[in-house]
Amino acid sequence: MKDIFTDLYNKVLGFFRQTEKQEESAKEVACNRLKFVLMQDRTNLTPELMDRMRKELIELLSRYVEMDKEALELGFEQEGNQMALMLSIPVLRAREEAEIEATLAEEDAKKAEAENVSESDTEETENTEETQEESPEESVEIVEEADTNSSEDTDDEAAQDEEGKKLSSKKKAKTVKD
Amino acid sequence: MTLTCEKVIEKDNKKGDIMSGRVIVITSGKGGVGKTTTNANIGTALAKAGKKVVMIDTDLGLRNLDLLLGLENRIVYTIVDVVEERCKLKQALVKDKKNPNLCLLAAAQTRDKTAVTEEQLKDICEELKKDFDFILVDCPAGIEQGFQNAVAGASEAIVVTTPEMSAVRDADRIIGLLEAREEIKSYKLLLNRVRPNMIKSNDMMSVEDVVEILSAQLIGIIPEDTGIITSTNKGEPIVNDEKSLAGQAYRNVARRIIGEDVPFLDLEEETGVVAKVKKFFAGLIGKEKQ
Repeated sequence: MKDIFTDLYNKVLGFFRQTEKQEESAKEVACNRLKFVLMQDRTNLTPELMDRMRKELIELLSRYVEMDKEALELGFEQEGNQMALMLSIPVLRAREEAEIEATLAEEDAKKAEAENVSESDTEETENTEETQEESPEESVEIVEEADTNSSEDTDDEAAQDEEGKKLSSKKKAKTVKD
Repeated sequence: MTLTCEKVIEKDNKKGDIMSGRVIVITSGKGGVGKTTTNANIGTALAKAGKKVVMIDTDLGLRNLDLLLGLENRIVYTIVDVVEERCKLKQALVKDKKNPNLCLLAAAQTRDKTAVTEEQLKDICEELKKDFDFILVDCPAGIEQGFQNAVAGASEAIVVTTPEMSAVRDADRIIGLLEAREEIKSYKLLLNRVRPNMIKSNDMMSVEDVVEILSAQLIGIIPEDTGIITSTNKGEPIVNDEKSLAGQAYRNVARRIIGEDVPFLDLEEETGVVAKVKKFFAGLIGKEKQ
């Protein structure tokens, strides 16, 4: 008996969800697509670059606070004539001071190591550029979970691009467990 | 459609002190949104309001402003002849058939955009400022040299767009380019080819949507009007047709440019038989007033 009701409930819910989707008018589609495309035009940031910026921000901020990576929202919003980069980060837990310092020390050590390597090389400038580019990949430990899901993320994002609903995409990256 | 034009008027009034020699470029980025039609109509409406107006067609190689004004047979010299000193500037100005306040400086049809430079256009505008209240520059589509030339001498701009995605996107690009140019002191948005019925049924972006997305000041809302085609065919701007709603909308734009506080037309009422009858009577009353 209970099953019949839940089935019915789901069917009714499904019906309304469907009609909701159909109700998105041509005008709304146009507005949403336009807003998305204008964000790209105005900032010269492709979805890939936005994704990268998002990852780098997560990596940077994770050193200081433990946050809900899934719920982090990043996107451009228009405030009158001004474009604003909006970043919303739900904080899960404050890190211990010692913990932060340990992470930072680790980072510093890595940087110093990288510098030593580049100094020893003859082509100095080229190498510093390279190390800068590589650095996000080197410090994988911190953003590991986000990275492992990266292929899934891009698929997910592409699907959302089509819908053109959101400037920033939510990812399926696992949340940090305490 | 509850838009006020207070903001637009505010800015216009600031400029109200200098009534003569305003150089306004009419641009859009995308082609076919009605730049030239807008130019011909605003120019004619301003001239009808007693202002001395000159229109410059900078669309070298693809001139059309002469056609919309019905002046194609009167062109002797073009802007390129002026620049290359085959004639004096005043010789190249073609007077309108009806209104002596209105002149056209035509584009050359056989040359390309490189035939005139930014500096030369600036000089021409400066020269014309002395004798005219308004210099309207008709800009070619695109963002290349033709656009850069047209904008060079102007201090104000009207960005023409339609409630279509591609036109709005291009308008956004143009606005970005205008903002980067110091000489452009103000720009305003003219929304052309608005279809109230489609907006009502949520099939088209509304005026508010476009204004919000572009966050620009509005100077006019022009309804889609088949009369535009017939008026182009006749070479007679639609502002001369007192009954036309689009003509009315363009006349209102001209009044706003001069600095008058004119409310935006309510386009949503224009449906059904009753509305048509009402419109008919409104047209009669409008005639009586004049």
